[in-house]
Order: sequence, then structure tokens, then C-alpha cells
Amino acid sequence: MKKVLIIDDEAIIRMSCERSLQAEGFSTGVASGGREGLEMIEKEKYDVVLLDLKMPDMDGMEVLSNIKSSWPDIHVIMISGYSTVDTAVQALRCGAVNFIQKPFSPDTIISAINDITDKPD
Amino acid sequence: MKRISDHIEKSVAAKLMIAIGLLMIVVSFIFWYTTLQKQKKDLMSIAVKYGTSFINFTRQSTHYSMLQFQREMTQKALENLSTPAGVENVNIYDHSGKIYFSSDKDRLGQSVATSSLACTGCHTEPDRSSSLLKSRQTWEVHENTEGSSVMKVIGTIPNSPDCYTAQCHIHAKEQNILGFIEADLSLGLIDEALLKQRLALTAYVILFVLVISLFVGIIIYKIVSKPVQTLVTVMEKVAGGDLGHSVPINSTDEMGVLAKAFNSMIKDLKEARDQREEWTNKLEEEIQKKTAEIERTHASLIQTEKLASLGRMAAGVAHEINNPLTGVVTFSHLLKKQFEPDSDADKDINVIIEQAERCSKIINNLLTFARATPSEKGEVNINEVLSRTIFMIKNQAKFHHIKFDLSLEEKQLVITGDTSQFQQIFLNMFINAADAMNGRGTITVVTRSVKEENNKFVEIEFTDEGCGIKEEDMSKLFEPFYTTKPVGKGTGLGLSVSHGIAKHLGGHIKVKSAVGKGTSFFVRLPLTDQSA
Repeated sequence: MKKVLIIDDEAIIRMSCERSLQAEGFSTGVASGGREGLEMIEKEKYDVVLLDLKMPDMDGMEVLSNIKSSWPDIHVIMISGYSTVDTAVQALRCGAVNFIQKPFSPDTIISAINDITDKPD
Repeated sequence: MKRISDHIEKSVAAKLMIAIGLLMIVVSFIFWYTTLQKQKKDLMSIAVKYGTSFINFTRQSTHYSMLQFQREMTQKALENLSTPAGVENVNIYDHSGKIYFSSDKDRLGQSVATSSLACTGCHTEPDRSSSLLKSRQTWEVHENTEGSSVMKVIGTIPNSPDCYTAQCHIHAKEQNILGFIEADLSLGLIDEALLKQRLALTAYVILFVLVISLFVGIIIYKIVSKPVQTLVTVMEKVAGGDLGHSVPINSTDEMGVLAKAFNSMIKDLKEARDQREEWTNKLEEEIQKKTAEIERTHASLIQTEKLASLGRMAAGVAHEINNPLTGVVTFSHLLKKQFEPDSDADKDINVIIEQAERCSKIINNLLTFARATPSEKGEVNINEVLSRTIFMIKNQAKFHHIKFDLSLEEKQLVITGDTSQFQQIFLNMFINAADAMNGRGTITVVTRSVKEENNKFVEIEFTDEGCGIKEEDMSKLFEPFYTTKPVGKGTGLGLSVSHGIAKHLGGHIKVKSAVGKGTSFFVRLPLTDQSA
């Protein structure tokens, strides 16, 4: 089973994702900010990262490029509460595999992760 | 008196008349005086001539009696010569002044005064031995005791051979002048003639001055005073602002030229005033127009600002609300799994999920509204954007039973702006059309380039076969949050956002609708290439 790291400054998002994923049998880790998330990736290996676009300590885009330069194997799915097509396109160009808009249902998250993990690496 | 002097002070004609009158009086007086003097002189010279003739006549008529020494006869002759009206007195006296014969017997034997003309007419001093004057005076005029003029004429009795050879032997051959004949001739007739002449001439001169003055006065009045007065009257009216007058003078003299110049000045003034009034009116109109425009712009600015702040607020709210909504949706789904499908609890949880999704939809619309200002500008081909949008929505459930009839302008229609904004407009148009037709029918899309007030636009026409828009809804169509859709279906922001975008880019959206038949929206956006 893939390991998923959830990076979001909002506790309810972290909780929602954690519960949805755990219900499906995924092992999860949570971080409330970009820096904390990067530290956790350094310590432990994650397959998928759910990354919020807007966070107070570090911008989601910055975190994304850091992950992609150091650990290109990690799949990053961007989540955002307020986005335009442009930001989505930009995120995908920077290496994100998907872009999910809040609010999302558990199914959306699960199928997005399954989409990646089903794909042969 | 003061009024008369004031009038003269102010009137050119009066000054001119006084000057001409004075000049005429002076000239007439000189003429009168010199004429009278000349006449007097002429009459006097005639009188002197006659006086001299009288003396010669006396000399010759007494010559013989004196040669014969008949003193009685000589005396008688003189007495006869004297007449009361003409000859007042005739005397004959010797060189010493002793009167020998006289028409006035009382004077016989008397002596003539040395101061009289008899002496001073020839001698420089009242002494007969004194030297002689170069030109002798033989007559003088004086007044007699009655006050009338009398001319005294004196003639000499020269020595001659028959005198000094006469038997009486009274005169020696050496004597040059033997005596004098003196006559006082009355000038009463001449005085009378002169007086008559003076009176006549005076009358003539006065009459002449009066007649000429009258004529000059009339001429000055006609040529100067009246035109000047007319001119002044009109000028005063014009100065008072009444420009509807002209000077009625048609003469060709300077006055006429002045009147003509003045009339043309009035005309120019009137034209200038009319023009100024016209300008003022135009300016006022322009100001009113501009004021209305400014008011409209102001109102629209306020509206824009309202929308912008609403947008900013919506963005903030959307961002904040999406997080808790995610929680609601997620945990509802998780909760749902703990109940049997179609159980009451399952149905209740479904309501929660639906309502949360409805919230999400509202928020998405609000977010769209918040993005009314463009983020990235570029050149966009409108036909391409249209095709892409249609391609994108075709597969969505809402448009499954809708046919798109496209009629796109062949040449490229390029406008400057943000692609996503144009997509937003088109999407709104399609969604509205689909809603109006209840998801069934044909949407006709036409693009064309049009000209409006010298600017080139692309016009995109969206026509549906829907229910149409009621007349009373037309005016509120573009107001934010105004919707005719059932609750939960529309936010009332679609058209308002589209309109805002179009206006922001310098375009506009117009609507034509027939209830029960369908609606056409005409979106006009300015073309990038404005050259012909």
C-alpha cells in the first residue's frame, strides 16, 4: 500500500484526507506546513503527497519544486481552495500529477491517488 | 443761459455756426466800413472839385471890378454869390489877412486868425514870413454853429501884369500873391446822401448776414447736425446693448462713410454676440452632456467598485469556506458508509452532501465573479476560444441534448484579453441558453466583425429557442444576484460577470428576446487591429 503525506495548514483538511485514506487502507502522515512536510519526507519515504497550494509559512508551488528536485519519484497532487485554470496549468507543468479543487469528496481523493498508483511507474 | 452754453459746448453744429457767424459779421463790418469810407472820400473829392471851381468862378467874376477898383461892385458880387443852402460865406482878404470883401458885411475890415487854414494851409508856422509847405492844403471840413458839415475852400489871387499896371497902383510888380478867396460851402446835401447810403448799406449787410446765416444754418443742420444726432441716437442705443438698429444715412460724404462703417460695426457686433450666444448655448449643452456622462461614469464606477469589493470579499469567503466544506463532505461520506444504503440515515446524509455541494457551487460562482478583472492579457482568436469552449461542454450532461449551430467568420478575429475571461462569458451564454431551453434545442452561434462609431468590433451572437425574457426582467438582467432560475440553480452572477468583463474590455452585451420564441445575446468586443 502507498504511503501518503498530507501537507495543509488547515486541520480539517488534514483530518478529512487522513480519515478518507485510512478508511481505504492507506498509511498516512500529516504536516501542517511546507517546511514540516519537507522535513518529514527527508526522514521517511512517501509515495504520494497531497499538497495545499496556499500556506502561510511556505508557498505550495515552492514546496512542489523542492520535492520534485530532490525526490522526483514522489507523486504530488495539488489541492486548493481558490484557484484558476492558470494556477492549475502551472502546477501541472511544475510536476504535479493532478489538481483537485476544494471542497472534494473522499472518492475524488481516492480515485486521484488510485489513478497514479495504478499507472506503471 | 447755462443750458444754452451747455448745448453749445456739446454741439459741433452750434460751434461751427457761431464761428461762421462771427467771421461773417467781422467780414461784413470790414466791407461796410471800407465801402462807406470810399464813398465818403469820393464824394469829398467831388465836393473839393466843385469848391475849387467855385473859387475860380469867384476869382474870374470879381477880377474886372477889382481892376477897375470898383469896390462896391466886388462886394455886391460876393453878397450875390452867397446862398443859405449852398454857399454860407465868401471872403476876399489880402496876404496879411485883412478882409476886404465878404458876403457877410459884418466881417469887413476884420482879420483872419493866423491859426486858420488861410495861414496853415501854406506856411509851416502861423507867420507869413515862415517857410512854405511842400504840398499845400486848400480845403478843410469843419462844423458850423448849427452842427452841420461845412467845407472851407481857399484859393489864391496871384499877381498878373494887368494888376500891377492898373491905374490904382495899389499892387507892386514884385508881389506874388495879392490875396485869397475863401468860401465856406455847406456839405449838408453830401451828409444827407452819406447818411442814406450808410443806412441802406447797413440794412443790406444785416440782411445779407441774416440770410447767409440762415442758409449756412440750414446747410449745417442738414449736413452735420441731423446726421450726427441720428448717429449719436443710434450709438447710444447700441451702447445700451440694443443691436437691432442701423444708421439711416445714405450720403456719399464722410458722414455717409462714417454711418456705413458704424452700420457694419453694428452688424459685426451682432454677429459676434449671436455667435457668442450660440457658443454659450452649445457650451451649456456640452456641459450638461458631460455632466450626465460624468454622472453615468461615476455611477458605473461606484457599481464597478461595489462589484470589485464584493469580488474580493467573495474570494476571501470562498477560500475560507471551502476548507470546512471539505470536512463536511468528507465526513458525511465516511458517515454514510456506516449505514445501510437507502436507509433513513443514508438519505439524510445524502441531503447533507447535496447541500454542501450546493454551497460549493455558490462559492464557485462567487469565485468566478471575483475574477472579473483579467489576470493575463494576450491576443486571442475568438473563433478558437468559442470552438474550444463548445468542445469542453459538449460532453457535460447539461448539454447532451443540445445541438450547436456554428456560423463563424472566416477571417481571424483577434481581440486582446484573458482567454479564461472569454471562456467565462461564452460558458455563461451557453449555460443560460441551455437553462432557457430546459436542456433541449439548438443554440446558434454566429461571429462577425462590425463597425460601431468608427471602432471595429467582433460580434458574437448566441441565439436559443428558449422561453425568452419577460419585458420587466430586461432592465435587471445584468444586475448581480438577479436570477429567474429556481432557487439553487442560479446565483444571478453569470450575466453580470459577463457584462462586467465585456465592459472592462471596451465592449458590451445586448439582448433581443421574444417570450416563448427565444433570446439572442449579442456580445461585442473591440478588435485588436483597428486599422481598415
